[in-house]
Amino acid sequence: MIIQVAWKNVWRNKTRSLIVISSVAVGVFAGVFAMAAINSSVVQRIDAAINEELSHIQVNNKEFRSSSDISDLIADFSSADSLVRSIPGVDATTGRIIIRGIASTSTKSAGVEINGIDVGKETEMFDLEKKVIAGTGTYFDADTKFNSVLIGEKLAKDLNIIRYILTTDAVARLDSMKIPSDVLAKLEPVYGERFTSDKKFNRELEKLLSPEEYKRYAILIKEAAWSYREGSKIILTFLDMDNNQTGAGFRVCGIFRTNNDMFEGLSVFVPAGELRTLTGIKEGSWHRLIARLDNTDLSDKITLQAREALPGYEVLNWKEIFPDLAMIADFMGQIYGVFMVIILAALAFGIVNTMLMAVLERTKELGMLAAIGMNRRKIFGMIMFESIFLSIIGGFAGMGIAEAVIEATQKNGINLMKYSEGMEAFGYSAHLFPTIDTGFFVTTTILIVMTGILASIYPARKALKLNPVEAIRTE
Amino acid sequence: MKDFQLAWRNIWRNKRRTLITAASIFFAVFFALVMRSFQLGTYDSLYKNVIESYSGYLQVQHQDYSEEPILDNSFEADQEMLSKIESDTNVIDVVPRLESYALAAAGSRTQGVMVLGVDPEKEERLSDMNERLVKYKLTDEAINALRSEELPARTKKLLDLFRNEAYSSTGRMMLDLGISAEDSAVILPLLRKEASFTNNYLSESFPQGLLVGSGLSEFLKINVGDTLVLMGQGYHGASAAGNFIVAGIIKLPSPDIDKRIVYMPLETARDLFAARGLATTVVLSIKNFSDKSVISTARRLNSFVEPPLAVKTWKELNSLLLNQMEADSRSGMIMIGILYLVIAFGVFGTVLMMMAERRCEFGMLVSVGMQKRKLAKVVTIEMFMMGLLGVISGIIASLPPVIYGHVRPLRFTGEFARMYEDYGMEPVMPTQLPDTYYLWQTLVVLIIISIAIIFSVRKIFRINVIDSLKA
Repeated sequence: MIIQVAWKNVWRNKTRSLIVISSVAVGVFAGVFAMAAINSSVVQRIDAAINEELSHIQVNNKEFRSSSDISDLIADFSSADSLVRSIPGVDATTGRIIIRGIASTSTKSAGVEINGIDVGKETEMFDLEKKVIAGTGTYFDADTKFNSVLIGEKLAKDLNIIRYILTTDAVARLDSMKIPSDVLAKLEPVYGERFTSDKKFNRELEKLLSPEEYKRYAILIKEAAWSYREGSKIILTFLDMDNNQTGAGFRVCGIFRTNNDMFEGLSVFVPAGELRTLTGIKEGSWHRLIARLDNTDLSDKITLQAREALPGYEVLNWKEIFPDLAMIADFMGQIYGVFMVIILAALAFGIVNTMLMAVLERTKELGMLAAIGMNRRKIFGMIMFESIFLSIIGGFAGMGIAEAVIEATQKNGINLMKYSEGMEAFGYSAHLFPTIDTGFFVTTTILIVMTGILASIYPARKALKLNPVEAIRTE
Repeated sequence: MKDFQLAWRNIWRNKRRTLITAASIFFAVFFALVMRSFQLGTYDSLYKNVIESYSGYLQVQHQDYSEEPILDNSFEADQEMLSKIESDTNVIDVVPRLESYALAAAGSRTQGVMVLGVDPEKEERLSDMNERLVKYKLTDEAINALRSEELPARTKKLLDLFRNEAYSSTGRMMLDLGISAEDSAVILPLLRKEASFTNNYLSESFPQGLLVGSGLSEFLKINVGDTLVLMGQGYHGASAAGNFIVAGIIKLPSPDIDKRIVYMPLETARDLFAARGLATTVVLSIKNFSDKSVISTARRLNSFVEPPLAVKTWKELNSLLLNQMEADSRSGMIMIGILYLVIAFGVFGTVLMMMAERRCEFGMLVSVGMQKRKLAKVVTIEMFMMGLLGVISGIIASLPPVIYGHVRPLRFTGEFARMYEDYGMEPVMPTQLPDTYYLWQTLVVLIIISIAIIFSVRKIFRINVIDSLKA
């Protein structure tokens, strides 16, 4: 009954109610959407860490991570492997040989971590296969020749394997993409010229084009000019089991692109067999055992079980390897909370103001209600429900819009290209695909109802303080 | 003047509404200012750390050096050019450096490091190197000895978290260990006795002596007096290798640099890398380092260094860091934007209500002969007053936390501190003193108010006297 009266009261002054409702809607929408965008960058980073870089759990020889010594192998890999596999919730396992070394081309060199992998098993556990840039090769398919290596785009740039050249082909492609011919004409002086780095090419483009043109076409031009010599060779040097220097030339069979510059620049992948012949590591021995779980939420539980089963080894999950990431993931919930509370507190001012107005202009009416025997609790409840209705209608509208916008942007994402350089250096993607847990909507709803209640206290107290006799007399 | 009086009285006629509106503006301004102040202050301290412990405000480099930091992009630091640069009014000193990468080995441990050949005296003047020498170190022995002493329980617990941590300042150590100023009189002598660390600075008379970052010394497990082997590539592909002695350990505020830096006397570095007379960068120590004067100094100097050399500002030298901070700054600005959007709606709602409520009053005033223009003026003044009340009170309330945060910056301890250091940042969050960003907030609020004013003024001009008197 009181609820119905409150509902009808809300719509007595439509304009006023709609203003408050829309302000709540806008605030909630903006808050939820901003959170979804921030959340997505963390979710994407964790996904990348698990699907491309680490998987869930890694087992090493106790010394290996601090020494990086080639002889710190897992002593009995097959029994460790079967022990881990027997834990329920473990989906797949694989071994890796990991060697620190130097990759070099004729002009450049860089320190790398050479991963000797079991190709068949790795494709089941990691997504790297999908990250190979089209046209640069494949992820060790059947035709891949002996001594092949998969490297990251960052390393390829560092080693001058990737360059920018405006070849005749590239120009023709640009022409077909409807790039104005006067822009192409401006680029003529650099046709065929080789640029060894992103920055050098950028600088040249900035010089040749007007800022307007640069902004609009630079990305397309760079994509067209991006060039890679297929079958480039790099030399990998490292120490073998006897601490003698060894190495060989490897053909680049593919280049992968992730959003993590550190990973792209450091990790190279080679089928394990080739490393075994070069280093003398025996068949069946590995440096690292990697396990993928059915579900990321199982990480903590299974890590403990694995640690118990393998007392002689170091067992770490992704959270322990990247503690900062785990901490951010854990704190995310609290950050949501604080941010939404600040927004709702700002909204509360609007609600208080409106409700106060509603109470003051109804002085006479409230006095009358009190005089004919409506008790104080009911009056309080009526005003509180009005306030809750205002906030919750706005809140649902805002969450609805936010959900719709999240759905809409999920397909193509939001690309913050300008910041990709800085964000990718930390391993975060600048291309965001907003996403949010359903749980967040529940929390937000609770917060909104609480805002409604808190905002009604002051106006409701004002209403209760009215003296019925005086209130009826007011004009 | 009359108008002002009228407006002033009007806004206090309905005290409650005025106060609530002003309070909502106050709330937004206060939050926005404090949030922004923390954000800007953090960037500032981050930049300052990188500038002071490494890049300096201005550098002379080979123009390709920043993209390809290799010895082949070095240049001859001849006296003529250096003294020419030094004669610039804003330049105090020119400090040549030879910088390269090498593999450092101690025992069976190796690590890629940045080798910085510096002029010991000049570098000391430029970046206070002596101040950065490690003065205390919480080694296992020190911790064991301290455990048996009488210490607060919290400090004992924190000792474990900061095991092997090195400190170049007493204040930082006290903060990390949770020692209050009152306790320090008792505890400090203990720490001095057990955890003191003796150290030497670089000197030309001991050319084999190096300084290594505390993070690096931790990783390689080396101490003062130990031997460090450096291997790398010298100028034009010459091979570079040598044995050195660790003379001292320094603690740099930027953990990223602290983990991989080795300092040596300039001449030693030139010998090691077969780069006689060469420098990869010349760092300029300058008097006035405001953004404007850095840029103008760079422009001035660029006119007399000849290509391929170029003078670069710290912003050009740290473009990646700037890009990261800009992305972060944008996200903060979006949050503030949302806050103001919400407030704008609130203000608009209030104005709408006020107009509805005072329709009768306005109608009456117009009918007794008040010009609509004058009425609009009074209402405009009223709203500006309300807005300014919110802004000014917000600004005043924000000053204590902002100033306090600047004088005594918020320092993280424990786990948070570790997380910050993992990201290569010093675990400290100072605030930025009031600056142009204060003006921006005021401007935004004034824009919001102006929109509300435009709306209400239009309404006033449309008043139909008869209708509104009937209302």
